[in-house]
This record gives sequence, C-alpha cells and structure tokens, in this order.
Amino acid sequence: MIQKAMLLLVLILSLNSALHAQKCELVLRGRVLHKENNQPIEAAYVWILESKSGISTDANGNFILRDLCPGKYTLQIQYLGHKEIKQQLTLNAGSSNQTFLMEEEAVDLGGVEVHGHRESVQTTTAVQSLYGEELLQSRGESLGESLKRVAGVTTFSTGNTISKPVIHGMHSNRILILNNGIRLEGQQWGAEHAPEIDPFLAEEITVIKGAETVRFGPEAMGGVILVNPAALPTSKISTTEINLVGSSNGRAGNVSVTHVGGSGKIAGLGYRIQGSSRKAGNIQTPNYFQGNTGMSETSFSGALGYSSKKLGTEAYYSFFRTELGILQDAHTGNLSDLQQIIKNGAPFTQAEFTYTLDNPKQVVAHHLAKLKAHYHLNPSWKLNFQYGFQANHRQEFDRRRGDRNARPSLDLELFTNTLEVFVDHNLKSNWTGSLGIHLIQQANSNVPGTGVTPLIPNYDMFNGGIFLMEKYLKGPLELEGGLRFDYRTVTAARYVGNELQKADLSYQNASAFFGGLYQLSPSLSFTSNLGTAWRPPNVNELFSQGLHHGAAAVEIGDANLDSEKSLKWVNGLTYEGKRSTLELTGYANKIRDYIYLNPTSETFVSLRGTFNVYEYLQADALFYGLDVSGTYSFSDQFNGYAKGSIIRAKNMETERFFPFIPSDRMDWGLSYSFGSKGIKESNRLTVSNLLVSRQNREPNFDLAPAPAGYGLLNVDYAKKIQVAKNELSISVQVSNLLNTEFKEYMNRFRYFTADMGRNFQLKFNYQF
Amino acid sequence: MKNLKIVSLYLLALLAFGFSSCKSEDPEKENDGEVITDVTLIFQELNESNALIGDILSFKASDPQGIEVGKTPTLQSISLTKGKKYQMTIEVSNSIEGEDITQEILEEAEKHQFFFLGQVFDSSFFTIQYADGDGIGLGLKNIVTVSSSTGTNNSSMRVVLRHDLDKKVSGTNPNFSNFVQAGGETDLDITFPVILN
Repeated sequence: MIQKAMLLLVLILSLNSALHAQKCELVLRGRVLHKENNQPIEAAYVWILESKSGISTDANGNFILRDLCPGKYTLQIQYLGHKEIKQQLTLNAGSSNQTFLMEEEAVDLGGVEVHGHRESVQTTTAVQSLYGEELLQSRGESLGESLKRVAGVTTFSTGNTISKPVIHGMHSNRILILNNGIRLEGQQWGAEHAPEIDPFLAEEITVIKGAETVRFGPEAMGGVILVNPAALPTSKISTTEINLVGSSNGRAGNVSVTHVGGSGKIAGLGYRIQGSSRKAGNIQTPNYFQGNTGMSETSFSGALGYSSKKLGTEAYYSFFRTELGILQDAHTGNLSDLQQIIKNGAPFTQAEFTYTLDNPKQVVAHHLAKLKAHYHLNPSWKLNFQYGFQANHRQEFDRRRGDRNARPSLDLELFTNTLEVFVDHNLKSNWTGSLGIHLIQQANSNVPGTGVTPLIPNYDMFNGGIFLMEKYLKGPLELEGGLRFDYRTVTAARYVGNELQKADLSYQNASAFFGGLYQLSPSLSFTSNLGTAWRPPNVNELFSQGLHHGAAAVEIGDANLDSEKSLKWVNGLTYEGKRSTLELTGYANKIRDYIYLNPTSETFVSLRGTFNVYEYLQADALFYGLDVSGTYSFSDQFNGYAKGSIIRAKNMETERFFPFIPSDRMDWGLSYSFGSKGIKESNRLTVSNLLVSRQNREPNFDLAPAPAGYGLLNVDYAKKIQVAKNELSISVQVSNLLNTEFKEYMNRFRYFTADMGRNFQLKFNYQF
Repeated sequence: MKNLKIVSLYLLALLAFGFSSCKSEDPEKENDGEVITDVTLIFQELNESNALIGDILSFKASDPQGIEVGKTPTLQSISLTKGKKYQMTIEVSNSIEGEDITQEILEEAEKHQFFFLGQVFDSSFFTIQYADGDGIGLGLKNIVTVSSSTGTNNSSMRVVLRHDLDKKVSGTNPNFSNFVQAGGETDLDITFPVILN
C-alpha cells in the first residue's frame, strides 16, 4: 500500500476521560507515526479550534491535550508538506480510539511551510530558521552571509570571502555549528577561519539564540547553528534538485545538485547524494578591484539510512574543500605599512579582474563522517548513538621568497572524534527527557616543514561530559531543565627555537538551564530560558606567540587563563496572526572571565620595523540586546517585512567597550506578487533596504575609527514556472543597487578596503 | 538480534580504532626560514674613474632572535668621510637557518627594491644611485656620494626593503619615499646612525 511520493501517517488517538464527566478534566492523548515503519513524527501541530488550545507532538510522536470539557470539537492536525486534517470529534467518557491518515502533498514553497514548519530542535530558547523560499534566496552565499537573514545574526568577516556567523555579538569559539548533528570541529579560533561547511547541503539552517551547553557541549555560549539536510526518505521516491547561481561581482558561478532516493524493495531504506562547486574571481568595490580575492570551493556529501519499526540508522559523509585568496594589501610588513594603508583607506595595489589566486591564500579541506543509530527499547525508552569523525587540514600561504611560496607557513591537521550515547524517555505521564554521555577527543598537529615557528602547539584534547534533560508538558505550558558536567584535559607541546615548551592543563565545569514555553493562544507564544554555559580557553588564547600580518601585531597568549563562564537569559515572544507575524527576542548575557585581545602600550622593534603587542586578558562582560522581526500583509499581493537588532557589550571592569561588536541595524522591504491568482506561475518583486548605523561604542584602542553608517538598496525578482509536474524557480537579485561605497565595522578588512559594490545575481532552482 | 550484536561489535571496534588513532604528533623543531637576522652595509671608496680603492668598511644591523618579543636589534653606526664617493653593497642573511638571503633577493630582483631615506638624504648629505647594472633598480649595489659640507657630524639613514611591489610605480628612484604606493610589504626597515668625519 505504499505509493510513490507519498508519506502516510497514522494517528492513534486514545481518549481518556476523567471520572467527573461534567467537569472540564478530559484528556486527549494521541500519537503520530509514519505508516510504513511506525516512526514517530516529531512536531506535528495538533489544535483544537474551539478551545484555541494546541500542542505539537514530541520526539516520540505523542501529544496530550488536557483540561477539556465534554463536547464537540474540531481537531486540526498540520505537518510540513502534508495535507491538513480537520476532523470533528466528540469528547465524553469512554470514547474509542480513532485513526487518521495524513497524506503528503506536493511541496508548494509559497504556502505550506508558513503554517506547518517543524523546528529541527525542540527548545524553550529563541529559535529561528532559514528554509524554503528564504533559503532559496540565499543560495550561492556562504553560511555566514546566508544567516544574516536571521534577526540578531551578523557576520564577522575578513574581506568578502571569509565570513563567520555572529549570534548576539558572539562568534568563533563562543558559538557552535552542527553539520548534520555533529559539532563542526575546524580551526574556529581564527578570526579569518571561515566555517568549513557548504550551505547547499542544508534543507534548513536553524539558529538557536540561547546558551545550549547542556545539550551540545562546551562553547555553545552565544548560540548554536544547525545545518540540517533533508530527512532521508523511508519509501520509494526519487527527487533531484539542481541549483545554478551566477554573480556579476567576482564573475562567480555556482552549481549544486542533490538527489534523494528511497528503495521500493526494502522499506525504510533511503539515500541522499549532494555535490556543489563554486568559482569566483576578484571582488569589485564601487571604485576598484580588490586584488587576490577570488576563491574556489568544492564539496560533496552522501547519506544512507535504514529505519524499521525499532531500529533507525544513518551513515553520513561530507567533504568540503576551499581555496581562498586574501586581499594582497592586507598582508602588511610592519606597523608603518599598516598605518599608511589605513591612511589611504584603499589598497595601493591597482588590481584587475582575475580568477588566479596568489599568496596570501588559504587551502582548507574538511572531512566529516558520521554514524547514527537509535533503537526503541520499549514504547517509552529509546537508545541513541551518534559517532562522528572529522579531519581538518588547513594550509595558509604567505608571500615569501622563492620556492617558499609553494610551502604553507601554517599547516595544521586536526582530527576529532565525537561520541554521544544517550537514552530518551517518554513516559505516560507528562515527562520526557534524555540522559547521556558525550565524549570529544581531538588531536592537533603542525605538519613540519613550514619554516615558521608554529602559531599554536601540537595538542591532544579530551572532553568528557554527562548530561540530563527533562521536559514537562501540560496543556499550553512546557517546562524544561537540564544539567551537565564536563571535564576537559589539554596536553600541548611545541618547540620555540630549540626550547621544548609543554603544558598539561585541565578544566571542569557544571552547567545548567531552565526554561519554559507558554502557548497563550494558537497565534501567540512566550518563551523564557535561563542557561549557564562555559568555554575553556582556546589553544591560541593560551599559547599564541607570533606575528599577525593583517594587524601588524604580535599576539601573546597566557597559559594561566581560566574558563569563561556565562549566564544567558533569553526571552521570546512569537505572534502569528492572519495578516501579521512578529518575533521579539530580548536577552542578557553576563560572562565571567571573558577573554579578549587587548593592545598593550608596548611596541616591538625588529629589523623589519615596529609592531604593536597584544595580550590576552580576562574581564567580566555584559552583553544584552534585542532582535525584532515582523511581517505584514497589506493584501494578498502586497507584503512588507522588517527586522532589526541592537547589541550592547561592555567590559564591566573598565566600563569600556569591546572591539568588533555589531552596530545597530535593520532591514526592511516591500514585496508585490502578481500573475493570476491560483495558478502556480507566480511573480514576486521585492525591494529592500538595509540600514546600518555607525558603531559609536568603540574600544579605547583601534587601528582606525569605526566607519560611517550606511544604507543599501537591494532588489529581488522571483518567478516560478510549472514545467510539466515540476517547479522551476528563477530569480534575479541585485544587491547594493546604487553601488554605494561603504565599509562595515564587522569586516576586519575595513582598514584596507571598501566593501563589495553592486552585484547582479541570477539563480535557477529546478526540482524533478 | 544476532545481527545486532555483530553490528555492535563492529561498531565498538571502529570506535576503539577511531579514538586510539586520534593522537597528535610529537612536535618538531621548526627553524624560521627567510627571517632576516643580519644586514650588513659594505662601503668601499671609489676614485674618479669609479675604481675601488681603500679599505672595506662594514656596518651591521643584527637581531639574532628574528621577530621575538622583548629583543631589540643591535645597530652599528655608519662612519664615513666627507667629500668621498663610496660603493655600498648590502648583504642580507638569516643566521638561524644559515641562509644567504642576498642571493634570493637577487634572483627575485623584479619583486624587490631597496629604498634609502632619512636625514642624510633630506639634508643632502648623501646622494645615492642604484648600481646593480642593467637598470634593474634593486639596490643591492649602489654608489653613495658624501657631501663635503655637511654642517653636522651626526645624522641617520633609513634603509627599507620592499617585497612584491609594482616597480612600474616606484621606478628607479632610490629615494622614493612614497614607496607604499607601489604596493607590496616591508621586509626591512632599519634606521642606521651615521657619523661623518
């Protein structure tokens, strides 16, 4: 009975009534499962229209609605990509079980997802996702750039090719990125080290804006980014998606192909393969080319999964390789070089367009392999296992003399094993939760032969964690809490000259969180989450000792640094009305022993010239701010949106500001859809405006003052065409339409160059 | 169930392998290549017909640690006689790795250029021209003329070596003070004290 391209759901309802029939104490219980393999469906929405109460199913597909009066009700069930169910039912004592079949419908990216979107993580912190149409618009951008669409997320970038996501003012080792459920372990510590992940593999990118150390382990202080591919099919299906993106600025081309298939012979067996490639040349600012800013990137991934009634397994592998050029003039020889270029405000080198990459450049390869399994021990208990292996190879090439140009001056190999074993329980009562262990083992080695004293030592790191999380559901109220304990050891060694330096360090920390969600009505919900998080100091903060060319600075680590400990309180209000939506997130994050790089008054003199000296210091810090995003439909055709964020970050000891904190910004736009109503061929024109203010809260010392605020005008035209039974999406986007020259405070290369000028992009997406 | 046990065993073996193979390498000594630790300016007097005469005078700047915090370079004062003409050659080396960087600079003459700046030129005590031959504008070999009327006996000369610059912009002017406009980066920037007798 399994039909092609169709998922069937079985909803088993068991209706229990309380003894006092006349009182409103009836309970409606149910479970949502896949038909073919009895896999539970998490986060299907179940509403009772009359009482305006509802709930989403939990990880095991269960839901409970309580405190219902006897009477007739309309039950509505929604799930992403499936036909909505509306059914009348009568509640009284002794009702029998009922079964619902939910049918998958052709995914119409315009409509369905707005209502039935499933968050990839169930948490009481503020969560926002990029999926469907919005993700389609971002295709061809790096992970960091794509995520700028989420309010409260900005980027910390090094030129226009390297960008790191910033959540609520935190980046690098203070946030976590998960590639299909595995903590991405690259050399995240470096400001110019972009995340080693291809956003094309994602069907959805989710940002959790709270402290999530308990769930995901140390370092998840500012937030977590989940890059999730589409779920593997469990029935016979074959879908292919092709994305083509061309950009005028950098003359970039981008191809991505994804194929998803399910076996017709073996029920529950499915696979997914995906590959993408990108090539770009020198970026152009309104008035000049940035020399050596091209890049090329290749990535592919494959997954194979099998699920039966009790067992679910998945094997996954992804490979990512990138070669990035670094702006020539950013590689300064000494302080006076740096001061000269800052004074000039633009590169001295007169560059032309080329795809050729020269030194300085980075070549990074990242492999990730994952095995995942779960086993249903009994209807209430589930055993989960996840193992990940990652190999990261980073080579950085500087401008050197002779054949040394072919030798990297930084050559690091990082291996990481991660293992998670945990049990989930879903008791008949209102409690769900999990308990487990989480091990991380990491080995970093400098590949000899660079001819440069290594910036960071060789090291072995082991992190063991044990965690417990419980969630209580009662009607519209959801409460959750969790505890975790971690122990970490770091053994490091390196040679500086002829001297062997060694260090044995250990850290331990307990973290906890408590949060709640209250569904005030089907359209309004409130969340609040208070969580502690911690981050042990990173190897570069402990052991750095060397020259940083882009800043003409010598950076000195401190092996005696303590762990950073934070307490983050995040509150969210979500409203989804008929015409408007509103999402508000307010937060405060207090961090003890925040580690930051502080300029000393010393300079260092060598035959090469003078350099500033920076040292790593610790101080208590307070981050707080607000994210707002909303949409409004003036009519079926005419829609508007606005989003914005403000962040304040202060050093509590000196009452001064930290460098590289995003300035206040907002993005707003209007869109008009036309074409005959009801026909799938649609046209939509969006005009938007990004406004960024100057960062007036500057640190005491900066190489150059913060650049002026700016406004950019962007235009997007999207068209959907029905080709046979398939959908073709075409869009033309123009960013920075007026070719405005601007510098972004969060771009480290603002010292050397203006940002990217006008860019025309043409994007095709075809699914068949 | 039997299959499950076998699978679990394979998994355990894989994990054991994964976790035990994950160990960092022992660190190896890395000698800093191409770091310039010694710069020697070698002067020898030239007669009217530009033939070398007299003793070789050499003045050295050294920083045996390369770039390391807390160590400053040692500089010798350049001591020359007023009214004389000298050939000045420059030798550059890395004592850490025992590398002769002079040769490397010569091999990459199109990518390198020395500039000579500072008070000795601002006050016209010295005049200098490149003498590397073939008009390559490099500065490893130069002719320096010391003015006979300098007014003072103490002055200074700044020696800058630029790497990866656009020599179409810098030309063949050894006193081109706007060298940053030619792009590239600084390999050397030393200011020698000068004593004129």
